[in-house]
Formats: sequence, C-alpha cells, structure tokens
Amino acid sequence: MSGGTAGGGVSPVPREARPYQGRRAGLVTRLVAACIDAAVVGLVLLAGYFGLAALIFLVDPRGFSMPHAGLVFSLTAAFVASIVYLTASWTLSGRTYGDLVMGLRVLGRGERPLGFTTSAARAVFVTLVPIGVMWVALSRDNKSIQDVFLGTAVVYDWQPRGAQGHPQE
Amino acid sequence: MTNPATATMRALSPLSALRPVLQTVLGPTVASVARTLDRLLDELIAEVVRRVDLDAAARRLDIEAVLDRVDLTATVLYRVDLRTVVREVLDQLDERSIALVVSRVDVDAVAQRLDLDAVARRLDIDAVAQRLDVEAVLDRLDLTATVLRRVDLKAVVDAALAQVDLVGLAEQVIDGVDLPEIIRESTGSMASETVKGVRMQGIGADEAVGRAMDRLLLRHARRPDDTNS
Repeated sequence: MSGGTAGGGVSPVPREARPYQGRRAGLVTRLVAACIDAAVVGLVLLAGYFGLAALIFLVDPRGFSMPHAGLVFSLTAAFVASIVYLTASWTLSGRTYGDLVMGLRVLGRGERPLGFTTSAARAVFVTLVPIGVMWVALSRDNKSIQDVFLGTAVVYDWQPRGAQGHPQE
Repeated sequence: MTNPATATMRALSPLSALRPVLQTVLGPTVASVARTLDRLLDELIAEVVRRVDLDAAARRLDIEAVLDRVDLTATVLYRVDLRTVVREVLDQLDERSIALVVSRVDVDAVAQRLDLDAVARRLDIDAVAQRLDVEAVLDRLDLTATVLRRVDLKAVVDAALAQVDLVGLAEQVIDGVDLPEIIRESTGSMASETVKGVRMQGIGADEAVGRAMDRLLLRHARRPDDTNS
C-alpha cells in the first residue's frame, strides 16, 4: 500500500500523510477510532430504544411509559449491535466509521482485506476484550491482543477506496 | 720469369757494362727534352684549338647518327641522379607554373580513371568530420523550414507518442502540481479540513506515545520499517 503515484495512479492522499501510508497505526489513533465506533453503537442502541418506545406509544398511547430495559438485556443488545456493526464494516470495507474518520484500515494476513470469518472473530474479540487495544502501546509492532491472535493489522490508509486484493476466506 | 741462361747472357753483354754510364750522362738530357716536348705539345694543341672552327665542324657533324648510336634512356637512367633533378625542378616551380600545368590537365579524364570507391574506403571519415565546423554548416541551414517541408510530422508525433507512457506522464504532472490538493482546496469543506487535521494530530500523538513507551521500556527507538504492515 502506498500513498504515492508509483504504479497506483494519482494519489488523493495529502503529501504530508503519504509517508505514513501502510504503516501500523498507533494507540492514540486507534483509541479515538474505537471511541467513535462506541459512540456509533451507542447511537444505534439509543435509536433502537427510542424506536421501540415510539412503537409502544403507537400501540397503546394511553398506557404509555418509557420501556425499562434490564442490565442483561442492555448489555446483550450492546454486544450484539457492536459485533454486527464491526463485522459488517470490516467485511464490507475493512474499516468502521471510526476508522474512516481517523484514516485507518484493518487488514488480514498478507495485507489482504478481511473476510467474514476473520471479521466476525475480531469483532467478538474486540467487543469482549476491548482493553486488548492497550497492548498496542507495549507492542513494538503496534499490535493489539486481537492482532496478535488473529494475525490482523490496523494501518494508516487515507485512500478512499479499499485495498486491492481478495478476501481471506 | 726470365730464363737463367738469358739472364747470364745479358750480364755478360758489353752494353750491360755501359748502362750505368749512359744513364748518368744521358738521363738529365732526356728529361729536359721530354719537358720541352710536353710544353710544345700543349702549345700546339692550344693553337690547333684556337684555329679550328668548331661551329663549322659541328655543322658538318651528323648529330642524328650520333644519337642513334647512343642509348640516351639508359644513359640518363644510370648516370643521372633523377631525385636531385626532380627536387631541383620542384623547388623552381611557382604557383603560376603549377597553375599552368593544372590548366592543361584534363581533370575529368583523370577522375573517370579513378576508383572512387577504393578512395572512399581508404578515407578516414572520422578525421574529416572532426575538422568539420558543424556549427557553421548548421548556421547556413534553415532547419525549421527543412523539417516542415520534408518531415512527416504526424508520423513523428505518432511514433513519439507511441513510446511515451501518457498515463504515467499525466500522473507525474498531476502529482507535480498536486492536483488532488488543489481539488480539495477548491471543493473541500470545513469538515474535510478538520478530518485531515484530526488524522495528522492522531499520527503525531501515536508517534509521541511510541517514543515515550520506547523510553519507558528502555527500547531502542523504533524505525519506520518496524511498524510497516
């Protein structure tokens, strides 16, 4: 992956960012991206919650009260939403909205785009062990716990289009 | 070799006894007479020469007959130093003489007898070219008009374009003027500039954290290759 023009056409990447293209991203950028993704998941959950409330209101306006979601239900819904969101994002484009904002892309082994299986496994792993991203600070290769176990990598990639190549699976 | 008997007879002859006497008495006289005769003979020859009309004698001489009996060619070849003669002749030639000789030479006939191909093969073209003032030749030529009149410019341009990677050239030009940046500046929104700033700030923060962790863990500073994917 390169930000230059050699063999890849004209690069839309700003010149000052080209030296970093393809290099593994550090902790701060990945944390910011993760926070944005968490916010996205939170907004999805809120949208779902208020959507459910609106549906209940439409069904029984006179007896309406805000629905009460238990802790287990809320956590389960959050996990499921996060896993679905991350899996879909990484499978389709290799990047979540947080990755898009921060110019990151998740790659599999051999710098190939992630397949569905690896995306799903990484989504589950990231959702259950979010603290694993802190290993980036200790890792000499900027690898999180998930990267170490699944062989994935998060790189700077400001290119709007996805990396060329075939999915893993 | 003298016979011993003859030698004995000569020794016993009466003249043998008189020989020393005669030599002593007659020797000086004979020598004086001989000198006188030589002088007279010289004077006689000079007088003869003075009185003889050599021109008349020469007129009576049949020179043709004399020449017919002499092989002049062999005489010249064997008795004349031709090199010296030729050198002297050449030294005495001036430009007018040479011009006169040249004017009488049929150069065209000489050229027809020449094997110009052989001459050309022996010619050192490189040496001739080195002496050639190319700039002066070019100054005398109207190359622009020559090219416009004699060159198929369309074919030249087509051939040149066929050897040029136009796409690569366009990419280099676009990269050189940084066209993507121009497009971003002309059409970009505040949000894209903000995103670019946030990304660059994030990269800077990543490197700062990396350096801090390297110092904290007493690691060597990581090189860019270390974090390449």
